[in-house]
Amino acid sequence: MAHRKARERDMLDSVYSMLALVFILVACVELCDAATVVDVYRLIQYDISGVPFGSRLASLNHHAGSLHFSPGADLSRTVVMIPVRELNISFVTEYVSRKHPLGGMLFLLPEIFRLENGGGGKDVREKEVVKNVLLELEKLLVHAKLPYPVYFAFENDEIDAVLDDVKKNDATGQPATATTGGYKLVIPIAEPKKVASPTITNIQGWLQGLKADGDANQLPTIAIVASYDTFGAAPALSVGSDSNGSGVVALLEVARLFSLLYSNPKTRGRYNILFGLTSGGPYNYNGTHKWLRSFDQRLRESIDYAICLNSVGSWNNELWIHVSKPPENAYIKQIFEGFTNVAEELGFKVGLKHKKINISNPRVAWEHEQFSRLRVTAATLSELSAAPELLESTGGLHFVDETSFIRSVQLVAESLARHIYGYQGKNIQIFADNSSLAVNPSYIRSWLDLLSQTPRVAPFISKNDPFIMALKKELADHTDEVIMQHEVLDGMFTFYDSTKASLNIYQVASVTFDLLLLLVLGSYLIVLFSFLVITTRGLDDLISLFRRPPSRKVEVSQEKLANDNYECVMV
Amino acid sequence: MTVFHFFNCAILTFGPHAVYYSATPLSEYDTLGTSVKAALVYLGTALVKLVCLATFLKVSETDNFDPYQELLKALIGFIDVAGLYFALTQLTHRNISQNHKFQAVGLGWAFADSVLHRLAPLWVGARGLEFTWDYLLQGLEANANLVLSISLAALGSLMWLRKNKPKTLIPIIYACAGIVATMPSITSYLRRGLGWQFPKVVGFELFTSLVMAFISWQLFSACQRPSA
Repeated sequence: MAHRKARERDMLDSVYSMLALVFILVACVELCDAATVVDVYRLIQYDISGVPFGSRLASLNHHAGSLHFSPGADLSRTVVMIPVRELNISFVTEYVSRKHPLGGMLFLLPEIFRLENGGGGKDVREKEVVKNVLLELEKLLVHAKLPYPVYFAFENDEIDAVLDDVKKNDATGQPATATTGGYKLVIPIAEPKKVASPTITNIQGWLQGLKADGDANQLPTIAIVASYDTFGAAPALSVGSDSNGSGVVALLEVARLFSLLYSNPKTRGRYNILFGLTSGGPYNYNGTHKWLRSFDQRLRESIDYAICLNSVGSWNNELWIHVSKPPENAYIKQIFEGFTNVAEELGFKVGLKHKKINISNPRVAWEHEQFSRLRVTAATLSELSAAPELLESTGGLHFVDETSFIRSVQLVAESLARHIYGYQGKNIQIFADNSSLAVNPSYIRSWLDLLSQTPRVAPFISKNDPFIMALKKELADHTDEVIMQHEVLDGMFTFYDSTKASLNIYQVASVTFDLLLLLVLGSYLIVLFSFLVITTRGLDDLISLFRRPPSRKVEVSQEKLANDNYECVMV
Repeated sequence: MTVFHFFNCAILTFGPHAVYYSATPLSEYDTLGTSVKAALVYLGTALVKLVCLATFLKVSETDNFDPYQELLKALIGFIDVAGLYFALTQLTHRNISQNHKFQAVGLGWAFADSVLHRLAPLWVGARGLEFTWDYLLQGLEANANLVLSISLAALGSLMWLRKNKPKTLIPIIYACAGIVATMPSITSYLRRGLGWQFPKVVGFELFTSLVMAFISWQLFSACQRPSA
C-alpha cells in the first residue's frame, strides 16, 4: 500500500511538470490559416510642418462591424467595413469631424477599379457614380487626422460573403465583441515609421537644335515640362491616369515626334528643346523648383518659354492656358496666339487665365509659377480652369479620354513646331493625320495603360525604381542627352511607410460559446463517469464516493459487505 | 479564446478514456500496464499498416471512391485485427480476469488511436483564431472509436480466449467482429462514395458504435451464462 502511494506521488509529480510544459507550449496562439486573406492598402499618413494628417495607425486587431449598427453603439473596438458603392459620405464626414472613437475603417472598392483592369472603357457610367463618391471621400480623408487605421480593399466573393454575414449579425442588434463571436480582422504589421529622406527624381532630356556655322551664340531653348508623380488617399493605388499621367504621355509623344524631325539635319529646327519630367508635383512643385535652381544662369536666360502640361486627357471642348505674367505681355500674346490658331484648326477653344504670383505665399498652384519666380516665361496647359488646392487633383481616379488626349498632343506639337520653324499664322499641318509624323495612338495607349497601373507617390519610389528607369530609357530613345537629378523632398512634408498589408479575416467563436462548451463537456464526462460506475460497480459505490464515512466501524463493515458482494459477482 | 477551444476539444477527445479507466474497476485492479502494452502493440500495427499501404496502394489524384483501392485498404485493415489478437493472446498479463482484460486492451488500443490520429491536427489547428466545428466532430469520432475498440476487443476475446461457446452464437460473433473490423472502410465509403458530410458520418459512427456495443455486450453476457 505505501509502495503504491509513493509510486503514485512520483507519477503525479511527473504529470504536473508535463502539464506545466504543455501549458507553456499551448499558450502561443498561432495566427496561421485564416479563412480569408485579402490585400489591403493603407490610407496615406503624412505631416505638413509637423501637423499630422491621414491615418496614424497601421496594425489592426478588432472585430468587424458594418454600417447597420444600432445608433449609440460603442465602436471603439470595431472595424467598420464600408462598401464604397453604398457609401453615405455624410456618415464618414460626421465620424471624422466629431472625432468619434473607432477601431478602424475598411473601405471596399468595386472590382472594376482594380489596377489590372486598366482605366476607362468598361461600365463607364457605373464607374462615374462611384468615381465622384471616391473623389469626395479622398478629399475628406486626405485632409483629416484619423487616430485609427484606415484601409482600402477590393471587393471579391469572399469579402462580400463576410460583409453579408456581418450585416446580418448587426441587424440582430448585437455588436460584435469578444463575447458574441463574429469576424475578427487582423493585420499584423509593425508601427509605421517615417520615410527617411524621401527622394524626388527629375529626368531631363535635351534635343539639340541646328547651329548655323559661325554662330557663336547659344541657341534659344523651348522647354516642355510635366510632373509625373501623384498623391492620393491610398499611395499604393494612386495611379493618376489623368493627373498627371496624361501630361507625361503627351510629353513623351511630343518628344518622339520632335526626335523624328530632329534626327535629320535638314529638318532640325534652330531651337533646342528641353524635356523635363519632374517629381514633387503635389508638394508645391518642389522638384521643378530644385531642377530650375540647378540650372546655369546662361541656360535659364536662354529659355524662350516653357510649356507645362497638367491634366490634358479628359476635357470636352476647351483647354486653358494659365499664365502668371499679364496677358498684355508680348511673349504671352505670341504664345497664346500660336495656340489659338492651331486650336481653331483642330476645332476647339483655348482660353487664357491669368493668376498673379504672391511671392510671400509658399503655395505654388501651377508648375509655371516656379519658372516665373525665376523670371522665365512659362505657361501651363491644362483642362482645369481653376488652380487645384494643395494636395487636390493630384492623382486620384480620373480616366483618360483618348480622342481629346490626341487633340491635346496635336495642339502642343503643332504650336511648338510652328514657333520653331517660323510658320506662325500659316495654315500648314506638320503633324497631319495619316502622315509619318502623325500622333501614334497605339504608342499613347500603351503608355497610358502603363501609367494607369503604376502608383507613383514620390516618397515611396526609390531612386532606382523600374518606372523611373523606364521613363529615362524612353526619353533617352527620343533625345540626345538625358540627365537624372536626385533630390531630397522639402522638409515641410514627412511621410510614413507601411502602405500595403495583408488582412486576415478570422471567424471567431465567442467566449460564451467556449464556456458553454466547457460546461457541456464537463457534464458529459460526469454523466459518463456516473454511468460507468453504476453499471460496473453498482450504485452504492457511486454514492459512497460522495458520502463521508460516518464512522470507522460502519465503514469497515460496509467495505466487508461490498467485498462480499464483489466476490459473488466475480465467481 | 483559442487555447480554451483547444482545451475543450482535448478533453472531449481524451477525457472519456481517462474517465473509463477511473470509473470502472480497471483502476482498482491496476490494469494500466495492460493498456500501455496494448497501446504499444497498436503503434507497431500502425507502422506495419503504413508500410503495406505505401507498398501496395496507388496515390489517386481525385477524391473518388475506387472499389479496388478500398478493398485493398480493407484487407490491410485486417492487420488491425491481427494486432488485437496478438495483444489479447500473446502478451503476458498479470492475473486479470477476462472481463477486465479485454476492456484494458480495448482502452489502450483506442487511446493510442486517438493520440496518433487526432492529437497532431488538434494541436496545429484548434489553437488558431479561426473557429471550425471540425475538431469537436473529431472528438466525437474519438468517443465512437473508443466504444468500437472495446466492442472489438470483447468480440476478439470471445473468439480467441473463450473455449466453450454455445454453437449457435459463433457465426453471429464472427459476423459482428467482421462488421466492427471493417468500420473504417465503411466510413470512408460513406464519405467518398456517397459524399456524406462530416457531421453525418460522425453521427453514423456514434450510432453504430452504440449498437455494436450493445450487441457485443449481449453476446458476452450470453456466453458467460453457461459458466456462471
